Amino acid sequence: MSIAPDVYKKIVSAKLYIDDNFNEPIDLDRLSREACLSRFHFHRLFTRIYRLTPHQYLTRKRIEQARKCLAGNELTITEICNEVGFESIGSFSTLFKKEIGHAPTHYRVQVHERRQQTLEQPRSFIPHCFIDNCTNSNIQEIPPSPSP
Amino acid sequence: MITKVSHVTFFVLDQDKAYDFYVNKLGFKVNTDAKMENGFRWLTITPPDQPGLEIALLNPLSGMMKYDEETTHAFRVLLEKGALGAGVLHTPDCRATYEELKGKGVSFKGEPKEQFYGTEVILSDDLGNWFSMTQPK
Repeated sequence: MSIAPDVYKKIVSAKLYIDDNFNEPIDLDRLSREACLSRFHFHRLFTRIYRLTPHQYLTRKRIEQARKCLAGNELTITEICNEVGFESIGSFSTLFKKEIGHAPTHYRVQVHERRQQTLEQPRSFIPHCFIDNCTNSNIQEIPPSPSP
Repeated sequence: MITKVSHVTFFVLDQDKAYDFYVNKLGFKVNTDAKMENGFRWLTITPPDQPGLEIALLNPLSGMMKYDEETTHAFRVLLEKGALGAGVLHTPDCRATYEELKGKGVSFKGEPKEQFYGTEVILSDDLGNWFSMTQPK
């Protein structure tokens, strides 16, 4: 059964509402009101379109933002937990580890180590076939040492 | 025996704009953003649900690439025409994604249409490449 264009727009508007407000408490009532649809109808259509329930999508969005915060700022784990909309540090850590494979603290350390290495040793991240075949070899040549 | 594709290249007119388009608009993830001492920037992204496929966004006009003048000119002509067909992007719902990306300013050629293989629409990165965005049947 196809979905009418105006209904698509309603579901997309609710999805964008999550994108813009994921750090606030959001429940199914709020989203279905945003979409002007019944809770049941909204939940069914959202899940059909995005292959995730609204709650799963919201959680994924929060985890994604948490990753950005862990990589990009100096907030504490608790502050990040609150910043992205999780209610408890316990559920945040559990969900983060389930989704990403590492605890938030461990993830942060890994990202910082990799970033530092990328800055200091960029060549260790670039496949040498690309360096040899794509980049201008004239400017990557190391100048010969001056003769004694 | 070859088992999978690990890296592909999208040639683009501008790496900063490509970062904005693919990461901020389409939702791809940055895998590596490293700059060599000669200025060559190695920027790779991965599709949201395909972390094993790195897409290198390379600018053949940057002066950092090993291309002669004639080749660079050919790249410029093709990229400025948006003539490079870079592939097919999958989406769970073409019409919903179309509505959303259109709202973010992504350029489309027409509206989603039913094809025998699914629902499809053509989009452009405005940096040299066009894609089919398809919801497979």
